[in-house]
Amino acid sequence: MRRKGVSRPISILVALIVGILIGAVIGYALTPKTPAGTAASSSGDLEKLRTENEQLKAKVEELTKKLAATGGGEITIKVWTIGPDPPSEYRLKNFQIAADMLNKWLAALGSKVRVKIDGQFFVRPVEWGEYKNKFYLAYKSGKAPDIYLTGHEDVGFLASNGYIIPLDDYIKEYWDTVYYDVIPTLWEAVKYQGKIWGVPQDTEARPMYFRKDVLKKLGWSDEEIAQLPEKVKRGEFTLEDLLKVAKEAVDRGLVKRGIVHRVKEGYDYFQFYLAFEGRLWDAKAGKMVFTKSAWRKTLQWFHDAVWKYKVISPTQFSGDWDKDFHGPFTKGEALFLSGGTWHKGEWVSKGLLTDQEFREKVGYMLHPAGERGGRPVTLSHPLIYTITKQAQERGVADVAFLLITMVTDPHLNANHAVKSSHLAILYSEISDSRYRKEPFLADVAYMLDYTTFIPNHPKWGDYSRIVFNVLRGVESGDLTPDQAFNELLSGIKGLGSDSVIIED
Amino acid sequence: MGGVHLLGGNREDRRGRRWSRRRYLAVFLAPSFALIAVFYLLPVILTVLISFTDMDYSFRWNWIGLENYLRMASDPIASKVLGNTLLYVFSTLALFNVGMALLISLVTVHIPERIGKGYRALWLLPRITPSTVYALLWLWAVRQDPTALINWLLSFLGMEPINWLHKYPWPIVIAVNGFVGASFGMIIFTAALKSIPTDYLMAARVDGASTLQVIRHVELPLIKWPLMFVTAYQTLSLLTSYEYILLVTNGGPGYYTTEVWALYSYHLAFAQYGGVVKFGYGAALATVLVILGLIFSIVYWRAFRFRELMVEPKIEV
Repeated sequence: MRRKGVSRPISILVALIVGILIGAVIGYALTPKTPAGTAASSSGDLEKLRTENEQLKAKVEELTKKLAATGGGEITIKVWTIGPDPPSEYRLKNFQIAADMLNKWLAALGSKVRVKIDGQFFVRPVEWGEYKNKFYLAYKSGKAPDIYLTGHEDVGFLASNGYIIPLDDYIKEYWDTVYYDVIPTLWEAVKYQGKIWGVPQDTEARPMYFRKDVLKKLGWSDEEIAQLPEKVKRGEFTLEDLLKVAKEAVDRGLVKRGIVHRVKEGYDYFQFYLAFEGRLWDAKAGKMVFTKSAWRKTLQWFHDAVWKYKVISPTQFSGDWDKDFHGPFTKGEALFLSGGTWHKGEWVSKGLLTDQEFREKVGYMLHPAGERGGRPVTLSHPLIYTITKQAQERGVADVAFLLITMVTDPHLNANHAVKSSHLAILYSEISDSRYRKEPFLADVAYMLDYTTFIPNHPKWGDYSRIVFNVLRGVESGDLTPDQAFNELLSGIKGLGSDSVIIED
Repeated sequence: MGGVHLLGGNREDRRGRRWSRRRYLAVFLAPSFALIAVFYLLPVILTVLISFTDMDYSFRWNWIGLENYLRMASDPIASKVLGNTLLYVFSTLALFNVGMALLISLVTVHIPERIGKGYRALWLLPRITPSTVYALLWLWAVRQDPTALINWLLSFLGMEPINWLHKYPWPIVIAVNGFVGASFGMIIFTAALKSIPTDYLMAARVDGASTLQVIRHVELPLIKWPLMFVTAYQTLSLLTSYEYILLVTNGGPGYYTTEVWALYSYHLAFAQYGGVVKFGYGAALATVLVILGLIFSIVYWRAFRFRELMVEPKIEV
């Protein structure tokens, strides 16, 4: 009953909006390409487009009348998003803005149909694991959101178990509206078995932040400090150098901690493995990779950082986000911080640093290479909007996709990117006035040339958990690097050779 | 004739009484049986069934036989976690849930009643404090900060601040659980001690027994059953408890340092960072916990001769 009642106005509404969008695109195409006085050569084309535009206008008028005749009604779209950092709130707010915009259009067209967003934006203490648990349990009890924001690595699992629907047809339909503009590598992150299952929402890089003021006190010149990211890029400043500089700062009493890293499980630690030339993914075989030599070096590095150089606290993993991560670095009590671009947004929004303090006191570079002459690294974890099968069953998938299309807008997405320090997903977003005013985002854009995505593999979570537990053992002193390597290898072997390639 | 009639009537009456007795039994037992069936038997059956699958968030019943159990046998983490569990259960039991509980009870019944009552009431505080608040208080007390409670107190002795949780995770985990657990035994032991007829105690005193001798030779033998009951009950309770460990160390601070069996099962089944869960393996671990519980129950039943506790007394006192 409900489905039947909703689907008719929805299909008319969607057709109407498609008409408006196509009209807008054509209008846009007409304006810049035909400046006055230079249109003579294309007058035939212009006439053709004008005719098409007239036809569209007629169609819109017809649809408007039909829409008015369908009466009123409210279409609720349930949207679930997560930070967990609070500044990423525009992952949800943009939907509310888009719905307001859509409702204004509907009102202008005389329709009484309205779209309402029933949204949730989860922040810490809710972390990714809990957020995903909530989704699966809500789905199982028939209360799933229509739009679900998640990490790209879940695409395979969600798609193969029927939680989400493929979006290829929609994307084709709206390609010229906005999707042509999406940075192409991001499409790779949302593909599974040849189909597209999500729309990129944002991406990021994970820089190694450093305190310029502390380096200055160590005797570095302004030029040397400014050159550090370049030296890292060229492989002239390695992870070993990082330890040495951090140790010097600690020994001289300039900082309490040399390096801080995240205090909870996450994917950041894989950057050190990548820096030691470890491989994560074999695209040809569709399997994850475990490079023995790189893991041995990574475990040794973490061990040395804690127990030889004493620049990472042995209690870092049992620490607190504010007291052991954000606090020490923003107060200048830690020299290096292995973080993400979004942390800059978090520091500014929480008042831990002003924009000016950030510019003056904080620098950022790639995670240095493991060995001299090697390649520095970073890691990206694009987030994506998906549409659930329950949205399709409720008959609202079309409206859900329309809203996703509206938020995949250079201006709205730039708003999110700037407020939360995430990177652009659209080419036109990079030239958006807001985005351009944020030099940090422009500065770190190059890092995407050095990035790796985490594997889209159902057992990736297991790989990550095994690594996290072993690293926690190394830092706490429970495991020597050799013991840790054996534990790690045995855990990874348990995932099966059909999932992981183990190489020397 | 009349006698036969009377006899037949009695037989019918007896049959009728037996039938109505059974009916009453059924009526009175049905609600508790239904509760046990719905909240214990059914989940156990489901857990055992899920343990034979590799179920995850696809919620598919993909039968894999004994694979989870074979995996458990060769899982090096499982053996470490088993060792942790035994250490946790028996240390907490000996030091707090039975040991400390008995000590508090004995001390508080031998001192003036008003002080004894107040002291026992203090020991109930951890139990009535919400778990998260209680765990946070501990975390604030044992942090590395110089302002954390323990470090602040020790600073008066000129000691440097220490990260207690990192340095002594087990003593803290045992204490956190023990301070909550001790109150249960304390209440039962105190009630048992107070129910000892004063004649016995007076007689011992008249015979010249000291307080320690009264405790050793009169009180302890008379509270034998409550002691054994609390030991058995708290063993089973500790075996399945993990919430305070989850809140305080989450199994850390090192490599599964304080991870106990129930917590390992919870982590695998529900709490993975990437949302990848293992209901099948988690259920197999939980099934083993149920079996362990049954084994402990049987051992205690036999060793403590609980049958004697349950039988009707030969004489009514």
